[in-house]
Amino acid sequence: MFTESSSPAKDPDSPESETRPEFNPSSTDSTATTNPNTVQTAIDSDSLEPTTFESASSDLPPERFNSLDELTHDLGSLHELSTRGSWQAILEKISQARALFLLTKPHEHLTYLTYQVMALVKLRRSDEAAHELNSLHDFDGTHYRYESFPEIYPNRKGSMVPFSLRWLYALIPTKLGNRQEGLDRLYVLLDFVRDRIRDKESQNLDDSVELWKKRERFVMSCLLGFHLGHKEFGVSLDLIKGLLNRDPLDPVLISKLGSVQMQFGDIEGAKATFDRVEKMLNEGKSNGLLNETQFKNLVGRNKALVYVVAKDYVSAVRVYDECIERDNSDAIAVNNKALCLMYLRDLSDAIKVMESALERVPTAALNESLVVNLCSMYELAYVNHTDVKRTLNNWIARVAPDDYDSSSTRV
Amino acid sequence: MSATQTQTQGPHSLAFRVMRLCKPSFHVDPPLRIDPFDLLAGEDFSDDPSSASLFRRHVSSADSLDSDLSYRNRFLLNHPTDPIGLSGLLLLPQSFGAIYLGETFCSYISVNNSSTSEVRDVTIKAEIQTERQRILLLDTSKSPVESIRTAGRYDFIVEHDVKELGAHTLVCSALYNDADGERKYLPQFFKFVVANPLSVRTKVRVVKETTFLEACIENHTKANLFMDQVDFEPAKQWTAVRLQNEDCHSTEDPPASDLSALIPKSPVIIRSGGGIHNYLYKLNPSADVFGPTKFQGSNILGKFQITWRTNLGEPGRLQTQQILGAPVSRKEINMRVVEVPAVIHLNRPFLAFLNLTNQTDRQLGPFEVSLSQDESQMEKPVGINGLQALMLPRIEAFGSNDFQLNLIASKLGVQKIAGITALDTREKKTYELVPEMEIFVESD
Repeated sequence: MFTESSSPAKDPDSPESETRPEFNPSSTDSTATTNPNTVQTAIDSDSLEPTTFESASSDLPPERFNSLDELTHDLGSLHELSTRGSWQAILEKISQARALFLLTKPHEHLTYLTYQVMALVKLRRSDEAAHELNSLHDFDGTHYRYESFPEIYPNRKGSMVPFSLRWLYALIPTKLGNRQEGLDRLYVLLDFVRDRIRDKESQNLDDSVELWKKRERFVMSCLLGFHLGHKEFGVSLDLIKGLLNRDPLDPVLISKLGSVQMQFGDIEGAKATFDRVEKMLNEGKSNGLLNETQFKNLVGRNKALVYVVAKDYVSAVRVYDECIERDNSDAIAVNNKALCLMYLRDLSDAIKVMESALERVPTAALNESLVVNLCSMYELAYVNHTDVKRTLNNWIARVAPDDYDSSSTRV
Repeated sequence: MSATQTQTQGPHSLAFRVMRLCKPSFHVDPPLRIDPFDLLAGEDFSDDPSSASLFRRHVSSADSLDSDLSYRNRFLLNHPTDPIGLSGLLLLPQSFGAIYLGETFCSYISVNNSSTSEVRDVTIKAEIQTERQRILLLDTSKSPVESIRTAGRYDFIVEHDVKELGAHTLVCSALYNDADGERKYLPQFFKFVVANPLSVRTKVRVVKETTFLEACIENHTKANLFMDQVDFEPAKQWTAVRLQNEDCHSTEDPPASDLSALIPKSPVIIRSGGGIHNYLYKLNPSADVFGPTKFQGSNILGKFQITWRTNLGEPGRLQTQQILGAPVSRKEINMRVVEVPAVIHLNRPFLAFLNLTNQTDRQLGPFEVSLSQDESQMEKPVGINGLQALMLPRIEAFGSNDFQLNLIASKLGVQKIAGITALDTREKKTYELVPEMEIFVESD
């Protein structure tokens, strides 16, 4: 029954959802279908067991999958390792899977390659990542299309290239020091994404359109980061305009506009922008991506920045304290509060605030910039700062993920 | 991270540590974070809506796992704007950096006791020494610090508006009693150089009654400068109006949209290391100043007050020296062409209206107005038609006389009316016509 329903007779151009009478999308677990060759797995909201039926899952066409692992070999485990920052383990898993020929389908190879390139870039081994990318065929050729393998993907059309791989390909030149090539590739990628949006819209593939629009905003945001990092404010403002056109009610985006204005020195403009965000909070307007605490903290941090610029560090500390009380994992509020304490001549308390956050909420607080700030404070406070920095370094080594850049302690 | 320091003889129980405290900066660092939908499956996987919804479910059930050791925020995107890498995290200044005239020098100074015993009665002084002066920033001699325990610190923050160029030295000194009761003196020197951030080049042009002032501001700093305020303050005898293009509002934004209110008009930011921006002003004589006094006194036009901002609004302020206008004409007699016909044809006489003004305080004249007799035999493009000399009567002090001349043009195109002189027959002085009137000569 299962295999029959996966390849109903139909017009190959129509979307497949119209011909799936058995599948009930409202069911909370996927007991709707059974396959004589596999034992179904019930999905509940907090289990992610790597499936134990690897050999059987290779018979399942990808449009029926009961877990990530059934989509691609061991995908659930790869995903979990990535969220823990265990990139070395991921590299080992990948070479093992290849050595044991555990990957049988073309899309699995691509997914694994993407994880591999991602891991190498995360571990700051971008030259090796570039080398791996050289093994790729042209992204848009037939090698990477589902319809080129009808026996494996009987009802699927389109590109099996994970979008992240395209993005990594565009990012690599910059990581290797060739910023111009990197920028060019990102702009080419942006054009590509915009073509895909038009494409999917003309085919009324709504879910896809949403995803590709997200990708468009993603690439635009990447470009914005690149230009901002080089203080290219004219282009940056144009990109922000473009993003705001697509998301006019995003308080985080509007706050970032305010931050950009502050960065190049337009204080009055920044204040006006932050006031708008506060107004949105008071009127309950937003695009729904923030919960109430996050929204209040956003407005709080904006307000505190205005105080910092006015050198009213006491008020800034007060506002940051409110943020930390609402959410003690707000690492930005913690870091900025510590800086304000320092500007108030209270270096000891500044250091205490940083250290306590690292202890209490390490996964939220441990980031390279916060550590750089803490080390600057150590260098000022202690004549023999090497010892205290080494202690910090040792603690970080126990707790940090693989991709943490330990040069941040400057030991 | 502090500027170059020199220490005198040790061993001292105390040591100064110094950190320049300009404004912190935003950390911009595009992160390596992705949307799981872009990694876990092919980019067109969600073309099929049921795959899409299945996929969404599996990804969100994977994400609901929340372990303590999750660094998901280093890998998965939380918010669509995360790739920008502008989280709002502030970074302390990582190096001394460059310092420019007009900025404020601010520094955190920490006196550390790195010895194994307490020091007492500590008098701390901080001052800035330049070529020309010493400026005291801090002096605790009236109320010395009683003691600094071992491994203890005394901190202070000093600020100084930088008003001189060149070498500066921050001198920090501590006078203290060490463990043996010996009174010791520790001076430490931190040197830095103050450079010029901007140069302002001006050009003055006079067109008839109006003076135009063009100023070009060049940025010599390593940062982009946001020009918060560029004000020209004219001298008493002038009024000034800034001339600028009306900002063309983008036609992309629908007029009623919030966006045009949100996104500011292009701010004036002058790029680092040689960027320039031009300002143009129109100067007119002040309403309450009349003809004669304009030509006496100085030709000072005024000066510029400039305020710029860099990172996080860090301000700098400068004013220029007085800007001088064109040399004032100290002519006693001013002869000008006031009006000519709208159309002037080649070789056809036309009537020009002229004015002769006596700018002195005594009677001058009578005058004989004629074409000047050049050495060169070249024919002038515009000559006097008919009688070659015109007699004008005496003119009172500060008075003027309007008269007409019949002229004829012998060359086509744009020509200047020039070469006409007025001879004061009494004092035997010759005055030239101000050659500012241009005419266009058409063919017959």
